[in-house]
Amino acid sequence: MSAGFDFSNHSRNTFLSEKGLKVPKATSTGTTIVGCLFKDGIVLGADTRATEGPIVADKNCEKIHFISDSIRCCGAGTAADTEFITALISSNIELHALSTGRKPRVVTAMTMLKQRLFQYQGHIGAALVLGGVDPSGAHLFTIHPHGSTDKLPYVTMGSGSLAAMAVFESSWKPDLSREDALKLVTAAVSAGIFNDLGSGSNVDACVITATETEMLRGYVKPNERTQKERTYGFRRGTTAWTAEKIRNLVVSEEITPIGGEEMDTS
Amino acid sequence: MNVDIQQLKSGEVNLGTSIMAVQFDGGVVVGADSRTTTGSYIANRVTDKLTHVHDRIYCCRSGSAADTQTIADIVHMSLQQYAQSFGEAPTVSVAANYFQTLCYTNKDNLSAGIIVGGWDKDVGPSVYNIPLGGGLFRQPWAIGGSGSTYVYGYCDATYREGWGRDETVEFVKNTLSLAMARDGSSGGVIRMAVITEDAVERLFVPGNQLPTFWEGLEVLGNSSGAKQPAVEPMAVEV
Amino acid sequence: MSQIWKYVRVTPSGGRVRGVPARSSTTSISLPGTPDHLSSQSTLILRFVMSIMEHNGGSVVAMAGKNCVAIACDLRLGAGAQTIATNFEKIFPVTDRMYLGLAGLASDVVTLREKFRYLTNMFLIKESRPLEPSTFAHLVSSTLYERRFGPYFCEPVLAGLERTPSGSYKPYIVGTDLIGCLNFAKDFIVTGTASDKLFGVAEGLWEPDLEPEDLFETISQTLMNAVDRDAYSGWGAVVHVITPDKVITRTLKGRMD
Repeated sequence: MSAGFDFSNHSRNTFLSEKGLKVPKATSTGTTIVGCLFKDGIVLGADTRATEGPIVADKNCEKIHFISDSIRCCGAGTAADTEFITALISSNIELHALSTGRKPRVVTAMTMLKQRLFQYQGHIGAALVLGGVDPSGAHLFTIHPHGSTDKLPYVTMGSGSLAAMAVFESSWKPDLSREDALKLVTAAVSAGIFNDLGSGSNVDACVITATETEMLRGYVKPNERTQKERTYGFRRGTTAWTAEKIRNLVVSEEITPIGGEEMDTS
Repeated sequence: MNVDIQQLKSGEVNLGTSIMAVQFDGGVVVGADSRTTTGSYIANRVTDKLTHVHDRIYCCRSGSAADTQTIADIVHMSLQQYAQSFGEAPTVSVAANYFQTLCYTNKDNLSAGIIVGGWDKDVGPSVYNIPLGGGLFRQPWAIGGSGSTYVYGYCDATYREGWGRDETVEFVKNTLSLAMARDGSSGGVIRMAVITEDAVERLFVPGNQLPTFWEGLEVLGNSSGAKQPAVEPMAVEV
Repeated sequence: MSQIWKYVRVTPSGGRVRGVPARSSTTSISLPGTPDHLSSQSTLILRFVMSIMEHNGGSVVAMAGKNCVAIACDLRLGAGAQTIATNFEKIFPVTDRMYLGLAGLASDVVTLREKFRYLTNMFLIKESRPLEPSTFAHLVSSTLYERRFGPYFCEPVLAGLERTPSGSYKPYIVGTDLIGCLNFAKDFIVTGTASDKLFGVAEGLWEPDLEPEDLFETISQTLMNAVDRDAYSGWGAVVHVITPDKVITRTLKGRMD
């Protein structure tokens, strides 16, 4: 199998759409992702809702992706694109680190991501917040789907970016402490969760410093479902069925030797 | 084929910009506003649109952020390669020609308006303008981006040959302030760079210290200068 | 899977459609403040424009229970509003304790079924080790993403039991969109033309730690009640309940209209 994309269904799909059948749009995720610089490093934050149009497809998905030990990347936009492009660049960063014998740099990951996104002219719908700490310090970038990048001390992306940016613009200060930065990121993501319909559920956070990376999955859960008071359990036999087939599986095997000596395998 | 190259791809990040470069006796002053927009949202209010491509050569970027960053990255690489191959710094003309080649050969796919400015030992200071179609024009001064349309007249009326560094910096600062005031897609702060043989000096004017001009307040039914009645502040429930 | 609606100007105004219209259903809605240029005689109609994903109909649901998983599908194969067959199973065994459900365009369901059969066999030959659901999920995901710009119109659902290092089995269910974005869930996964309805019913009926027989009732009732409100799914159903020692497959009676 060769690398890269396979376009062989493209002409068929074009034909189908010309027949008047609507081609479904790739699922896009409304999102709030943020990042902020603080005294000792970077804090990244994300909500955990994935949507397909008006439907909440996943109530607790992970949007902070692994790039390397001390570089992480939040993804907004087409869910599959953010998932795969971060996995690919993570893999290439590891190979690059192995071949250079140095710790990977955030700008290296940023350049790899922007060059790939530019190559695909915006068709790979990934909007990213890239942050991390490397030997040259802490860095925070936004990367847009067309491949443009910005380097800023605090950033937001996704459909909830406006709500989150409002929080940053009113409260961010240089040289925040770890606690204050985490509090600010939580407030920014929460602004997205509660004010943007495309964002929801929990706050994921990730604190990256020169010495360690702490992934705080489900850091705040402001939308836990309350316990149901009663259950909807159906009595066994409720559902009428016409045929049943049971396939018994092998659970354990026992080997019984039947005469003769074991083969000498020494 | 009818391609509107001014039309940005949907959702693309735009440098709806005011940029300029002016040549003076000892060097070049390049300047730009700092606004980057996606539609009506300001994606970055402190952007640096003055991009270093070699020791004494800078470019001012306008148009699509993705396109111009990529072009600047490629030219940056080419100029490093040039310096290694020929053992000397490339001229501004060489840099401008790299930009022109990229912008012209890919003109159907790019929206990039670039101004190149710098100093070299062959001709001293020089400014090149590479507008949308990929042309290449050497000019004593050049302005670009959406904000530039508002200030052509000002530049024509104000520019004089033989200025020194300080006068040129003032000219750039005033021109950009005027452009930023009229153009909704430009704004923020002014970033400048003075490129001379000896050094590149970066200058910065914060958004609240921009030079101001006539702002029309006295015309609004109050040309006599009589005091306006005090306005009651809106009651806000706390 | 969201449906695509389009405003169409129709004269005179229609009511709710009774009887199945060819390939589309029209429902009139009253919109406050109808613009002047769409005045009195014509009425704004919300017309359902069928998408490729809806053409053949069909739905799949998977649920996790206590030490078991269940996966169920309806049996309809249609061509728009016309029903072609009522024995079109959309769930296929991958290994002993793992089943794959494929809802979407029927030709792609068949193509992907064969493709995954091939890939599973190649994996077993090359790796000579058991294929676990978590491994297969990524195989599905990358196979679909390879065609990011010319996708299969199919959203797979995977249900199986994953072997733990201690030798026991833990429930594993996962779904993907048509370009391979994995959706890991602890509770249930739905897909197909009735996915909107399945989401609602499953959200209400599912509860944690159901025994195989109870899980069978829950998943069956979820599917049956959801597809009864979907014109493009139904005509009977098949349910598989996977436990560590056996797989129970039952065919359900359902409405035939």
